[in-house]
Amino acid sequence: MERTRWVFIGILVVVILIVGVSLVVRAVTGKNTPDTELVLEKPKTITVRVLTALPIEPWVRSAAETYNASNPTLDGVPIKVEIIPMDGLTALGRWDRNDFGALAPEETIENLSEDRKTTLENFPTVWIPDSRYLVELANASYKERLGRDVFLTDGEYRARPIAISLFTWGIYESRANVLTQRFGEITWNAIHDAAVAKGGWPELGGNPAWGFFKLVVPNPNKNAGGLAAMVAAAGEYYGRTNISVADFTDPQFQTWLRELMGSVTDFSSASAYTAEDFALFGYSVGDGGQLLESDLLQNMQGILTRWDDPLKIYYPKYVTWFEFPYTIWVGPETSALEKNAALQFQRFLLSEEQQKAALAYGLRPTNPNVSLDATPESLFVKWKDRGVEMVVPRSDAMRNPDREVLLALLRWFQLNVAK
Amino acid sequence: MNTELSDKQRTGLIVGIVGIIIVCLCVIMALWGGKSVWDSLRKEKGGTTSSGRDSATAELTVAVSPGMAATFTKLAEQFNAHAYKTPDGSPMLVRVLPVVPEKMVAQSLANPPFQAIAPDSSLWLNQLDRRWIAAQSSTTEGEAGTIPIGNRRFGDPVRYAVSPVVIAAWESVARGLGWPERNIGWKDIQQKATADPTFKWNHPSTGHASGLLATLAEFYAGAGLTRGLTPEAATAQTTLDYVRAVEATVRFYGEGEDVIVQRLAEEGRGFLDAFVAQEQVVIAWNQTQPGERLVAIYPAEGTLWADHPLALLELGAPGETPITDNQRRTYQALVTFLTSPDVQRQLLAAGYRPAALDIRMDEAGSPFASSVAVDWRQPQTTLQIPSESVVEVVQNVWWYTKRPTNIYLVVDTSGSMEGSKIDLTRAALRSFVEQIRGDRDQVGLIAFASDVNVLRPLQPLDDAGRADLNRGIDQLQAKGNTSLIDGVWEAYTELTLRGTPEAINAIVVMTDGQENNSDHSLPELQRRIQREHGTSVVIFTIAFGSDADEKLLRSMAEMGGGQFRRATETDIEELYKIISTYF
Repeated sequence: MERTRWVFIGILVVVILIVGVSLVVRAVTGKNTPDTELVLEKPKTITVRVLTALPIEPWVRSAAETYNASNPTLDGVPIKVEIIPMDGLTALGRWDRNDFGALAPEETIENLSEDRKTTLENFPTVWIPDSRYLVELANASYKERLGRDVFLTDGEYRARPIAISLFTWGIYESRANVLTQRFGEITWNAIHDAAVAKGGWPELGGNPAWGFFKLVVPNPNKNAGGLAAMVAAAGEYYGRTNISVADFTDPQFQTWLRELMGSVTDFSSASAYTAEDFALFGYSVGDGGQLLESDLLQNMQGILTRWDDPLKIYYPKYVTWFEFPYTIWVGPETSALEKNAALQFQRFLLSEEQQKAALAYGLRPTNPNVSLDATPESLFVKWKDRGVEMVVPRSDAMRNPDREVLLALLRWFQLNVAK
Repeated sequence: MNTELSDKQRTGLIVGIVGIIIVCLCVIMALWGGKSVWDSLRKEKGGTTSSGRDSATAELTVAVSPGMAATFTKLAEQFNAHAYKTPDGSPMLVRVLPVVPEKMVAQSLANPPFQAIAPDSSLWLNQLDRRWIAAQSSTTEGEAGTIPIGNRRFGDPVRYAVSPVVIAAWESVARGLGWPERNIGWKDIQQKATADPTFKWNHPSTGHASGLLATLAEFYAGAGLTRGLTPEAATAQTTLDYVRAVEATVRFYGEGEDVIVQRLAEEGRGFLDAFVAQEQVVIAWNQTQPGERLVAIYPAEGTLWADHPLALLELGAPGETPITDNQRRTYQALVTFLTSPDVQRQLLAAGYRPAALDIRMDEAGSPFASSVAVDWRQPQTTLQIPSESVVEVVQNVWWYTKRPTNIYLVVDTSGSMEGSKIDLTRAALRSFVEQIRGDRDQVGLIAFASDVNVLRPLQPLDDAGRADLNRGIDQLQAKGNTSLIDGVWEAYTELTLRGTPEAINAIVVMTDGQENNSDHSLPELQRRIQREHGTSVVIFTIAFGSDADEKLLRSMAEMGGGQFRRATETDIEELYKIISTYF
């Protein structure tokens, strides 16, 4: 064979070897040129982690199961939705302390250590708190830290309410009859007067075995509903919907509120889920209280099964609403695919089918096409005789508290009730 | 020269080129394979992959309050029999560790030997919360604006069963008090106990929910309140006097309801007239024991629920083994199992009220359906649970109001105790002395070998007395024979001379061998105890190791109305601590 041919073959072999070895070396060392960074590697699965407030967790979990079972995909990649139940206030505390490990301003995904990357694997993609005000408070906290919002209020990723519920009075019927006979109407003022009655139920005209009047409101340290109840009580006390820090620090109001809260039997309960406790321990721990309508409706059957006295629902004048905003994290901690998959699950929750399913959990749909009696399973139909009303009879909606009011309330509770 | 290649040469050249290319590709493939191996080695070394934590243990140890431990163990066995596995194939396994709730809280604060807790009441979770936050407070100082919520030692708890705390009384006793026509309250029991010296009642120590509630009820009654108990009201002299008078009527304290029931079974109807326990104890007793039944009195002033929470500890502080993902999966599977309809019905059959609200209390087969001894419509009201700081005041103040105690520690120092046994005994005795905290409690120390030696007479446990007693314990040396009965005889003599009727007078005697040197005999001791009624002396006996004279020790405990216990080198210290709860 000619030498030139051998030279040609030799060059060919050397070229193949150089290209092959350089490819291997680059793969081992992980050093890529800027060009290759533009090529995104598709994950095997897109996981959407949804931090979900407790009142809607059963519905959202059930929806997630249906959604996952339909084998959803995005750009050909399977989506899996994971539900992480957490009270809105607890979640806010965790955002506030940055417990989830959002990146500091000087950090980027590329320069993170392997350990930090691992912790980000569990970073929530979506947060569904009880109320929009919790989102605003979390944003305020991150604005201080990062100089920008982490949950958007407009645009494609903006927070959208996915269901609604409001705070109503739930009172055991035998007790409610005595209260309405005595006070005419169930109001915070009537409850306050019942709470401070020195002689307890006998003085109010009730059964001596009932002891003192016992109020049920969620523990504000563990449940956003506790704060909502205090805000609603303040609204009725002052006769307006906007409550400031000055209102809460007024000594006369504080005395009134302390007397009211003094009738709560047990704030020490470890559970944040008061309506379930209300059903589990019945009238022995509480004659009545202001709780979320959906919680009461979900536990109504349990109360009827477990206790010898049915529960009756009454609507207050000053109302606090929870609208459960579906809020997508917009920071770099989650990928674009995860954010878009989260949007896809949001659309699923807002679909007519899932909004109808929410009725079976006592939640009011945000989709205007779905009426409260759209399905026979609707708890609004089932518990009509227990006082639930499709149209809220009258309402002055309380405005959401700001961060200062929230902290003032928590501080007051810690100093005057919890301690 | 002909430069043209022949067909054969051309074919050979092509084959050669293709061959070389194949060899090159093989080299590249081999290098690529090597890269994969390198990758996997790197991951193993770093251990930082997401699946790294998944491969960790799925074994979960749950600390359970002693009253629930037997039921929980049965359920854990059923769970383990299912042989559930985590996604990575690790077997899910639940182990049960009985722990007194008060101790559970203390252990949970740092590197506990368990990952989940199931105390008898949420009260203990609150104590844990409070103590954890206090321990963490130094790290959050200066962050006044931070929202003070969600920084907890444990995850959201789940309840799997509940039971109200009641006064369990023999039916005849309850009828004597006016049951079922009249609502009977804590005050009725307290009045009965102070007015009638023959009325015997008991409540567990404040380390258990039922004991804590009974004590709270006494403080409420003493302060003339049913809610709004404050530290000031709890520590007012009139309140303390009232509680002290009521506590003087308590026959003995102890570990918990389970031990009370055990003694009731051993000693019969005359042991107690009434005791504070969960409603479930009444049902379980009536299901298994013949004779007069117990009935549940739901106190008129209100009661407390033993709500049996189960919670996963968020371990992972510096120096702690963090909870693994697999342990979380086991915990979730356990929660699902415990709240399943089948297990909830098992709990109902055992006398608990199930957490599942769709189960009717009066359904066919329910122990509530066929009995008037318990009433599922009760309780009508509960006592207000004071804030955690008031509960702590009550727990601390109780030590100064509880019935005073005179105890003689009677210790075997014969030759057989030489070596590790005497070392462990010294440590155990020191632990016992540490647990006795009442300001009116007195403890003495007697050693017996060939002779009996009163090392320390009864003395109050103030700082000086405690230090002196510990010096006496340190002096214990093993040598000689075993004058066991003489040792107890001497302690009995001392207590009849120095003891007081209003106090709990007790002997805690421990031996590892056989009686072989006493001047007195067991029948003599028995006759003496029967003859001398002035000061009642309770005798607790401990058999240390397998060579101890169990028969003799059992007889002594029986004649002294106390308890016989076995101990080994591994649990002697714990046993002394447990016995200390009786005082």
